[in-house]
Amino acid sequence: MSKWIIQGLRTGVKSTGYPRRPEEAAGVTPGLPAAESRWPSPSGAEGAALTCPAGALEANGTSLAADPRRCVHCLRCTLGPNPVPWEGGYEWARRRGPGDAPLFGRGFHRSLHVRVVDAGACDACLSEIKQLNKPYYNMHRLGLFLTPTPRHADVLLVAGPVTQAMRMPLLKAYEAMPTPRRVMAVGTCALTGCLFGPSFASAGGVGAVLPVDLEVPGCPPPPLAILHGLLLLSGRTKASDGAREALKEAAP
Amino acid sequence: MSLAAASFLLFILLAGTGALLSALLPERRVPAGLAWTAALASGALMAASGATLESGTGFAFPLLRLPVLGTLGFGMDRLSALFLLVTALVFLPASIYSAGYLARYEGRYSLRLYGVLYHLLLLTTALTLAGMDLVTFLFDWRLMSVFCMLLVGFENRKQENVSAGYLLLAMTEAGVLAATLGVLFIGGFGASGLDFAALRAAAPHLGQAAAWAVFLLTFFGFGVKAGLLPGSSWLPKAHPVAPAPVSALLSGCILNLGIYGMVRVNLDLLPVRYVGEGLVVLIVGSLTALIGILYATIDPDMKRMLAHSSIENMGLVTVGLGAGMVFLASHLPVLAALGFVVGFYHMVNHSLYKSLLFLGAGGVDLRTGTRDMNRMGGLLRVMPYTGLFFLAGALSIAALPPFNGFVSEWLTLQTLLQSAQFGATGVKVVFALCAAALALTAALAVTCFVKAFGMSFLGMARSRPAEQAKELPRSMLWPMGILAAACLILGLAATYVIPALDSVAAPLAHGSITEELVPPFFIVGPAGDARYGAGFVKDFHAIGAQVGRGLLPGRGLVVLHPGGEKNPVVFAMSTAYTAVVLVLLLAGLALVVRWATRRRTVRRGLVWDGGVRHLFPDMTYSATGFSNPVRVVFQAIFRPTTQEDTRESVHGHYRTALTRSQREPFAMDRLFLFPLTRLVRGAAGLTARPHHSGRVNLYTATVLVTLLVVLIVNWVRP
Repeated sequence: MSKWIIQGLRTGVKSTGYPRRPEEAAGVTPGLPAAESRWPSPSGAEGAALTCPAGALEANGTSLAADPRRCVHCLRCTLGPNPVPWEGGYEWARRRGPGDAPLFGRGFHRSLHVRVVDAGACDACLSEIKQLNKPYYNMHRLGLFLTPTPRHADVLLVAGPVTQAMRMPLLKAYEAMPTPRRVMAVGTCALTGCLFGPSFASAGGVGAVLPVDLEVPGCPPPPLAILHGLLLLSGRTKASDGAREALKEAAP
Repeated sequence: MSLAAASFLLFILLAGTGALLSALLPERRVPAGLAWTAALASGALMAASGATLESGTGFAFPLLRLPVLGTLGFGMDRLSALFLLVTALVFLPASIYSAGYLARYEGRYSLRLYGVLYHLLLLTTALTLAGMDLVTFLFDWRLMSVFCMLLVGFENRKQENVSAGYLLLAMTEAGVLAATLGVLFIGGFGASGLDFAALRAAAPHLGQAAAWAVFLLTFFGFGVKAGLLPGSSWLPKAHPVAPAPVSALLSGCILNLGIYGMVRVNLDLLPVRYVGEGLVVLIVGSLTALIGILYATIDPDMKRMLAHSSIENMGLVTVGLGAGMVFLASHLPVLAALGFVVGFYHMVNHSLYKSLLFLGAGGVDLRTGTRDMNRMGGLLRVMPYTGLFFLAGALSIAALPPFNGFVSEWLTLQTLLQSAQFGATGVKVVFALCAAALALTAALAVTCFVKAFGMSFLGMARSRPAEQAKELPRSMLWPMGILAAACLILGLAATYVIPALDSVAAPLAHGSITEELVPPFFIVGPAGDARYGAGFVKDFHAIGAQVGRGLLPGRGLVVLHPGGEKNPVVFAMSTAYTAVVLVLLLAGLALVVRWATRRRTVRRGLVWDGGVRHLFPDMTYSATGFSNPVRVVFQAIFRPTTQEDTRESVHGHYRTALTRSQREPFAMDRLFLFPLTRLVRGAAGLTARPHHSGRVNLYTATVLVTLLVVLIVNWVRP
């Protein structure tokens, strides 16, 4: 017991400094294609767009727009002779839906309970969510908690494209939550359905089933992106479009 | 002839008529006839015993006067009046209930037989308690045991029921044989006869060893009937298989007979003299309570659970009496009276709520066809009144105020805490350990009855019969309602019950506790009197102890034990005031919550079931699951045996079927009954083998030799 304390004191705080300081460790993010890139010719841009299996790249004349909501980080677009520029960063969470009013009142700033629902995810997103509960990301220090029952939850965190089998349980969980309640979609599948799309077996994203309030792109999104989303929900941080630029050097 | 005596004769007449009528009436008229005659007989018995208890002047019908045996006959004093009153209180509702319950046996078993046996059981139970000499007492006891056994094995086409009846008979007979030996021991010390008065007169002549022998023989002998350790094995076998009204009677009246025998011999005829005797009673009582409640908590069979709980409650009664015996032997008569009053109080309470619970369990059994709580659930929706009355019983037995169980269990614990009065450390330690065991028992009792009510009446129906059950007919609900009301009244009117019980206990303890336990706040004015000084009275008047004065008769509504100068109040409580405050608080709280949330909108959704498509009843919490923590924690006591059955195929690589069942054999079977049976069998084999050769000549020779020996002995002795 005493050894634990000494060991702990000697080790010091190893948790990430985020959100007070930007995280600078290597490999905390897989990165995303640059939102907008200029190409010498329209054919070059179209050629680059065709490399994407997920349909995240869209050529528009000489400019190439990247949709982070569809990207699966396959890096295929970076492999050709003309690679698409790629950016680092992790503050990817974005509000969804109308209005800019705070999603939760002040009482939720330091106490937000999250119920996670696996709506047909491949477990990659869930693996990243699990990281949040571990010492490095340590979500408890920010007043964020995972709860086993939707009865205590403020946030419904959904991963996966919402398969037919999980549609009803997801709706039941949402019904069981007290208001105010917010839905957070995590991962490309939950955002757009992506490769699974809307099909006989999948609803094609959480938005088709529930009103989504916040989206975190990525396949899977790094833990910091999910953390950013949760902080955004609780109202402790603002969505920063400049964050991408801030960490360009952390790109892979 | 006094009112009591006349009522008692009327009772004998009514019960006898009832037995005759049951034999003569056509089969389909028997249930109603039985309900009427037995209920009327119980009413007459209630009048007789109530009048005796109130006035204190008993009566006696000496029937025979024999040279050696003394005066034989019936009578009643306050002690037997108390037990008779309890008997009548339980028989009355059970008789009315019987009428509806017997419907399940129609056409399968003889209702006439049931009617005859039922009346004879009522008659012999009452006559056992009214026997004023050893011969009458034992004669009626034997008859009562036989009728008990026949009623337990009433469904005589089931092997289990018949063997349970035989076990009951065998064990209680063995017990009463030992007890008889003990009482005859007293008779051997120059008693002029075997009537109780003569035995009482002879008792002071006994020496130490003889007194101990009498005590051990009678305590453990009668203890078998009361379900005390180590002879409690018959209880969990006989109670569940008996018809529900008979189960109620077994728990409510027949177990009390064991206590009666113990009290009659060890407190009335030969009062305990040594602290050790009281400690034996105390320890046996505590262990019985603990073992009983442990097995009750884990048992999923509703009636077997109640049977185990009866063992526990008899243990609690014994603890009260044992504490009283220790106080008596330590020459603390007032505290001895406290112990006896507490013991009697708990006995009365147990009779009422346990018969209520057995009637409720019988009703559930009747409607669902099962006693397994794992297959019940959600019964409150289909049987609301049965559920309500069962809840009242469960609250009483779990010792929650303002019900009666609370008063007696609280007083039992307070009695044990009075051990500070002793000088000897050893006695104090025993009292402390027993109090700890009792506290654990009380906590487990709450768990047990949360399980019993929650798993059978709340939640989802776990079987089709439980889903489609119907409410019981009025004739079966009324008796339960009466008992539930009695439970509540005995809880609220504790200050009126204690003086009545004190009148029974005072002659046994040579001291009275009424003055010490129920201060006369209604009688003594604010100025106080010699015993209750003005300061004491003023303090309690300030917090409202005199509320109700002038409206209510009696001494007050507060149970309070005043101490010395340093601590004026040792313990105090009032169920009546608590109940009023409880109602006001709950109603007030409901109003406040209603007002505070008047603007709030409420969205009602389904129960959160983990998101499954359909919540099957098998997925919900079951009685076995609820009690599993207790099963695991006390594994050392339960020693569960597990049986696994696997069917394997393809050279043992695939398992196609697997069943696993875990059973907890009753500890007293394992530790006492089975070894004893083995021992007796072995001894019988050893002793009988030389004689039983199968040759007729040898048997004839044995008979002749025995005859010769008897003749010679009688010839030699003058």
